[in-house]
Amino acid sequence: MPAAPLPEFSSSVKLKYVKLGYQYLVNNFLTFLLVPVMATVVLELVRLGPDEILAIWRSLKLDLVGILCSAFLIVFAATVYFMSRPRPVFLVDYACFKPPSYCRVPFATFIEHTRLLNLDDPKSVQFQTRILERSGLGEETCLPPANHFIPPNPTMEASRAEAQFVIFSAIDDLIKKTGLKPKDIDILVVNCSLFSPTPSLSAMIVNKYKLRSNIRSFNLSGMGCSAGLISIDLARDILQVHPNSNALVISTEIITPNFYSGNQRSMLLPNCLFRMGAAAILLSNRRREARRAKYRLVHVVRTHKGADDRAYRCVYEEEDPQGHSGISLSKDLMAIAGEALKSNITTIGPLVLPVSEQLLFFFTLVGRKLINPKWKPYIPDFKLAFEHFCIHAGGRAVIDELQKNLQLSPEHVEASRMTLHRFGNTSSSSLWYELNYIESKGRMRRGDRVWQIGFGSGFKCNSAVWKCIRTIKTPIDGPWADCIHRYPVDIPEVVKC
Amino acid sequence: MTAGGRRVTVFAKSTAVSATPVRPGKTYPLSSLDHLMGRHTLHLVFYYRPGPTLDRDGLKESLSEVLSHYPAVTGRLNRGEDGGWIVKCNDAGVRLLDARASVTLEEWLGSASAEEEMELAYWEPMGDDPSIWSPYYIQITEFEDKAFAIGLSCTHMHADPTCATLLVRAWADSHRRACIAYAPFLHPSSATFRFSDLAVKSLLADLQPEASPFSALAALFWSRIARAAGVPPGPGDLTLVVDIRKRMHAPLPHGFYGNALHFSRARADLAARVARVADELGRHVAGLQEEEIWAAAEWAHDRRQRGEEAFQMYGPELTCFALDHVMAYGAAFEEGEGGRPAHVSCRVGGAEGEGLVVVLPAAEEGAARTVMVTLPEEVAKAICRDDAILRYGPTVMFVGRG
Repeated sequence: MPAAPLPEFSSSVKLKYVKLGYQYLVNNFLTFLLVPVMATVVLELVRLGPDEILAIWRSLKLDLVGILCSAFLIVFAATVYFMSRPRPVFLVDYACFKPPSYCRVPFATFIEHTRLLNLDDPKSVQFQTRILERSGLGEETCLPPANHFIPPNPTMEASRAEAQFVIFSAIDDLIKKTGLKPKDIDILVVNCSLFSPTPSLSAMIVNKYKLRSNIRSFNLSGMGCSAGLISIDLARDILQVHPNSNALVISTEIITPNFYSGNQRSMLLPNCLFRMGAAAILLSNRRREARRAKYRLVHVVRTHKGADDRAYRCVYEEEDPQGHSGISLSKDLMAIAGEALKSNITTIGPLVLPVSEQLLFFFTLVGRKLINPKWKPYIPDFKLAFEHFCIHAGGRAVIDELQKNLQLSPEHVEASRMTLHRFGNTSSSSLWYELNYIESKGRMRRGDRVWQIGFGSGFKCNSAVWKCIRTIKTPIDGPWADCIHRYPVDIPEVVKC
Repeated sequence: MTAGGRRVTVFAKSTAVSATPVRPGKTYPLSSLDHLMGRHTLHLVFYYRPGPTLDRDGLKESLSEVLSHYPAVTGRLNRGEDGGWIVKCNDAGVRLLDARASVTLEEWLGSASAEEEMELAYWEPMGDDPSIWSPYYIQITEFEDKAFAIGLSCTHMHADPTCATLLVRAWADSHRRACIAYAPFLHPSSATFRFSDLAVKSLLADLQPEASPFSALAALFWSRIARAAGVPPGPGDLTLVVDIRKRMHAPLPHGFYGNALHFSRARADLAARVARVADELGRHVAGLQEEEIWAAAEWAHDRRQRGEEAFQMYGPELTCFALDHVMAYGAAFEEGEGGRPAHVSCRVGGAEGEGLVVVLPAAEEGAARTVMVTLPEEVAKAICRDDAILRYGPTVMFVGRG
């Protein structure tokens, strides 16, 4: 009896070592090549002896001009090389908005309000209750004060008040953490998809903090939940053009004006999942910031599937037959998200994966095309490329889908699940809450690579890759400070209300 | 009421939740005494003069903090297996109303009628579905001069005035750290008499210096009401309501949440002088035995076992409520003298019959007391004009149908 399982065990162990050996060999191939070459050269030099080496040197017939020209060529080549490299972009620090506890929305309150507002439509109430029970949200997520009224009171004044509250709190926190002076901000990028007043939110920030008159400010609206990484990409591009600059990036979503007051099922999900949140990020290309910065931006990869009609319509803002406007989510949202992710991986894979994985993927691809189409496509192991994953906390289904597609362990998606539980779906800022979770847990070490994946309407899948350049010591100040000791928490499949 | 418009407008309804989540699964059944109070409701109004930290948002924040300590207040009533009420602490929150008054606080205190005072403590009776009905309603009314009135209405099954006041006190304490009065009566006619410290002392001097302010005032009002109602002079009965938290051999803490009242019948000869009546009442209150209190509690329990409904506790005979031990004026939302309430009102909804007399503390310290009466209309009118009462120079407020 005990003999039977042993062969399986030993065979899987053998396979693991074979894989490890293969990875070491391929990823350090150049080193393996270089060592024998250097050994040969050294042996030759030793064999030749000093007199012979001097003789070879004189035979090159180098004179002053020749030496100067060669030196000049070398310096010129080096300069061209260094100038053409992109400026490194550092993430000095970031701050996330911590919602106040009186804005909390317990499940019981949400369901009670839904029932009071839909006395004549119990089926709609039941549907929303089911969504909430299976959502993966906890009892501490927060909605803005306007949504606590019966019925909710989404005035423009209330929307502005929410915007000021969340954005200014995050910026004040960031200023306290980094000692940033408002006059030192050269670039300002704000993204907020569903609230776009005139003057813009970026103008609101310029006004409040008295920023300089030659500031380069941008306000991105309508770009969905992946707009946070679009803002980072924009800031990075501008930092390439302007040396010695600071960029302030604000990612948020304003909930107040977007309460859906109808009963179309495809439009009710945002009411149940979206919650208050904001993040303020300070990027810089100044060399001296490298000393205290937390991360360096390595790659940003953006994938837009809007050319496909199905993808374009899958998250669509429209009016329902009764005239209430809301965001309609189509049934094939998960499938489209999976396809968008595959596109994104195809681009980002070669940039981040070690050579071993790329070769395996290449050979499997060639094999499928030429030898046997029935071979299973090789899914590269991204766990070799990254230590931490921040997956947009769009909902439980998104995280489950990505965990399956990328073959991630529960620890890798813990940050996403816990952020969904504690803060809900805060749209573009959720990636920053997840990063803060990892830091608060003391898991972020120098040299760790982080992959942030955002999904949003369009349909877009955007990725950012950061490298940690300074081990981050706990405890840290942030939205998780008072509750991190309670996490991780076991989230049941269905919460019974 | 001014001609035409209402002076108080409720402009928003929301739900206030506790700052920390309630541990799921907590329930507690209401006691038999709680069930007995089923027909009655409680309404308290606390008036505050304007202050630097007194603002609507600040009040809502401190309310959230305080609700974390009262999971029963944010729960909902459900029917238990035996048909009785159970409070399920499901973290749903309390209903919060935002209102505005178009007059200043002084104008209001000087001119508002009892019916108008009702508008400061919003109340919705239980509808078809108790699981989405909040047993507590808190109203924050802002006056023209930035003074505030905090109105708290709840079902008497949940709380008696003592613990409801303690809730407001805790709220005030929490607000002060970060930076309550009479409930409106729902009855035919009512009036509020504010007796100063000197007035009460002179009353005591006239009657019997050793008497307590409560027994003196109760005796005075009882005899005058009996005369105004045309009751023939002779032995009469009065229902007395006292708080029993500290009367038990194992005293309940002041913070005990729930109903801890004892209703008893006092007898005195109304033909005699008021001093004698005061003496009788004083002796009755002092002589309340613990056995009596337990007997009453058992009676309440047996009633519920038999499945009988809530009882008309306040009425039909004249009822007199001793609330002057309640430290309502300690509910200060601001530091310093200005933080204490300017006035506190307390009314009981569902009281019927001959009427209700409530003796409360007053803003002034010492022997000063506020007496709120709810009586049939004619009797109330007579009392407001009664010489024996007016000789002590009380300020008469909130007269009218309430």
